[in-house]
Amino acid sequence: MTASPGAEPPLLEMRGVGKHYRGVAALKDIDFDLRRGEVHAILGENGAGKSTLVKILAGAVTPTQGEIRLDGEKIQIAGPSAARRHGIAMVFQETSLVPTMTVAQNLHLGDEKFFNRLRGTYIDAQQFLQSLNFPVEPTAPVQSLGTAKRQMVEIARAVRLKAKLIIFDEPTATLTPEEKRHLFALIQRLRGDRVSIIFISHALEEALEISDRITILRDGAHVITGEARAFSRETIIRHMVGRSLTDELYGRANVARRLRAPGAKVLSVQNLSMQNQVRNTSFSIFKGQVTGIFGLVGSGRTETARIIAGIAKRDAFHGGDIRLEGRSVRYRTPRAAVSDGVVYVTEDRKGDGFFESMSVADNVYIGRISSRDSRGVLARRSEAQTLAESWTKRLNIRALSVASRVIELSGGNQQKVVIAKGLVQKPRLVIFDEPTRGVDVGAIAEIHHLIGALADDGLAVVVISSYLPEIMSLSDRVLVSRQGRIVEELSANEATPDAIMFAAVY
Amino acid sequence: MNRLTRAVDRWFGRGEFSVTVPPMDGAFRPNDRLDAAAIALELPAPDALAITSRGLLVSSDARLFDVGRPSAGALVFEAEITALTGLPDGGAAAGLSDGRIVFTDGRTIPAHPEIRCITALAPASDGALFVANGSSAFSPHEWTRDLMATTPTGSVWRLDSATGRAIQLAGALAYPHGLLDEGGAVVVSESWRSALTRISPGGAGRPEIVLDNLPAYPGRLSRASDGGVWLALFAPRSQLVEFVLKERSFRERMIREVEPDAWVAPSLRSGRSPLEPIQQGGVRQLGVLKPWSPSRSCGLVARLDANYRPLSSLHSRAGGRRHGVTSCLAHEGQVFFTAKGDGVVASFAELGATP
Repeated sequence: MTASPGAEPPLLEMRGVGKHYRGVAALKDIDFDLRRGEVHAILGENGAGKSTLVKILAGAVTPTQGEIRLDGEKIQIAGPSAARRHGIAMVFQETSLVPTMTVAQNLHLGDEKFFNRLRGTYIDAQQFLQSLNFPVEPTAPVQSLGTAKRQMVEIARAVRLKAKLIIFDEPTATLTPEEKRHLFALIQRLRGDRVSIIFISHALEEALEISDRITILRDGAHVITGEARAFSRETIIRHMVGRSLTDELYGRANVARRLRAPGAKVLSVQNLSMQNQVRNTSFSIFKGQVTGIFGLVGSGRTETARIIAGIAKRDAFHGGDIRLEGRSVRYRTPRAAVSDGVVYVTEDRKGDGFFESMSVADNVYIGRISSRDSRGVLARRSEAQTLAESWTKRLNIRALSVASRVIELSGGNQQKVVIAKGLVQKPRLVIFDEPTRGVDVGAIAEIHHLIGALADDGLAVVVISSYLPEIMSLSDRVLVSRQGRIVEELSANEATPDAIMFAAVY
Repeated sequence: MNRLTRAVDRWFGRGEFSVTVPPMDGAFRPNDRLDAAAIALELPAPDALAITSRGLLVSSDARLFDVGRPSAGALVFEAEITALTGLPDGGAAAGLSDGRIVFTDGRTIPAHPEIRCITALAPASDGALFVANGSSAFSPHEWTRDLMATTPTGSVWRLDSATGRAIQLAGALAYPHGLLDEGGAVVVSESWRSALTRISPGGAGRPEIVLDNLPAYPGRLSRASDGGVWLALFAPRSQLVEFVLKERSFRERMIREVEPDAWVAPSLRSGRSPLEPIQQGGVRQLGVLKPWSPSRSCGLVARLDANYRPLSSLHSRAGGRRHGVTSCLAHEGQVFFTAKGDGVVASFAELGATP
């Protein structure tokens, strides 16, 4: 079934491919080749460059260096349509189908005839889906389908376009075990039809099970490529987390540092559940300590934090309990949480963190208005001014003046505005979700210092991050999240990259 | 609105009425340190410990042994010993299952009609004796029955050891099981409330909760050598048991029709009978008991600071061999504990277990 590897030239070759964003390398000098009819897994931590690499192939990102050869010929992938023309299709985790259109319409999207006959479209789609043995009804609107069936439609579209190479980005994250088995059977069939497949997953067992070869990336660089059977979970994890350049910024791992002793218990999360994103999770948060929560994308960390902060709602039945300083709390709005001193600093600052067209002063003042100390109904311009000035000084926010609009600031300074907006509410529990995502190196150090200072001041601080060095350098205590629940607790001195990663993926 | 929300939550079992148990993390993070403790003595169902001028004593059924010299012979009582305490004069007082309190110097306080379930004793600074009466309806043997009854009927008394006169300090307690004198006030471990409560002098004040939301049922309390507190927790709480405690008709039928050993209830030692709940596939893998599996029993000793804040803990997990710890006591640099479920008295170094 599998093509004898090495007997013929590879389908795809990438030589010295790199991508730089304003001088920062997201991907450096990657050499990669893909054989015909093979399943090739690309593994790495969040931010290792997996997505950038496949987005280059799918035409969503243009590389700044290197060359790509397909069937031995040098090609330029200028955009998604060019990728499709070259026979490269990508199946996204969140599918790119139009939810209100039917399966058949989606299959023909971008390929409609001038005179479009609905019945003909359906018949054509029916025949095609049957030929693939996909049990999907062509007349069903896509929004009525489950995740697995949506993926089938997406895959069918790729096959219909005669794709030689299909890229799966985290295809199994939201699938049930049954659906996963279907998907794997399908991948095997595609391999039998000599279609090459790139498979990105955080589930290492899946990669070991389904793939012929494995490539591991770290910090945007290629680490190793080899036959899947030559790897074990342990060797994969070691290759994924081995550190080099990040040691300078985040301090060396395994070097014992002074840990803060835990204070009183502030928060006790007990058997919290929210659909299949948060599953019966329990943990405690203590005063005067930084608790790091590590987990891969989709492990339910952010969702748990959002329930605590009143942004998301737990299940109506068997949803569990949250106790803040011994008192059971269930917030219906974030405002109620804020007035209880629970502040969540969002991971999506552009979407949820600030009003980008408003000034720094207004944004900070909005935080103040929603706090429990806020009295009166009138907004006071002078108070906003003084407040913003004191916080820009305290957090070293570099803006021309407090009247500057937030959109004009750099990522790091925008993040500091979001943090100021939270801290002005005088919290007793602060949850930082990916506090340094998209922030420059200088600001990272300042934000880390600030987080440490908050814990030293006796606040309960939670840092959610999918970046291991960040968790390890900041936390006094590390919680590891997997599949919607906290599965491991480690003290910072025990928290080696291997131990954390082991808990996160097993 | 708030009252209405509470009523709705209560009906649907949501929010504070949901079936939850506190996490075993932070100071209660699981380890195997009780299993690593050195065995001092093996006895059937050792229960309470006391320091006397003779040394460290441990009760086992109706007998009292010297932990340091077990071969020296046991002191045998007429009924099962259900509580024990050392006294300032070097003697000891034992509460018996028939309600009497017997002193090692030969004195006896006859059973009080309202004190029939003596679970703990502690000497007060003025020579009186604090007595924990676990339940007004059941004997100490029937502790699971008392839990399933869900009505708190326990009480704490102050007994004049000379006259035998008893004054009730607090009532309606959920199975008081441990006592610690604070020089006037007394701190009580209420097992079914999973909390420690302080009862102030005179008994006029309302009991004040000093620590609650414990992940296991607290047993006896003792003073650490540096002024902190050692707390024995005799069985873990579980969502399944909490659920059963909310289901009245199921519970009543279970009590009526099922043998107590097979109830969905905490236990001092589980996993030995093929009839009990939670077993096989859920807790075993290839014949090996998973240490993290849900269990009806465990071993747990917690170290609290002088303000009753948990600092650290020592565990014997589902697969361990030191389950059902009912007492622990610091003595000569060691902390001795009785694993009643597994019939072991063992000890660990106090300094090494104190953070």
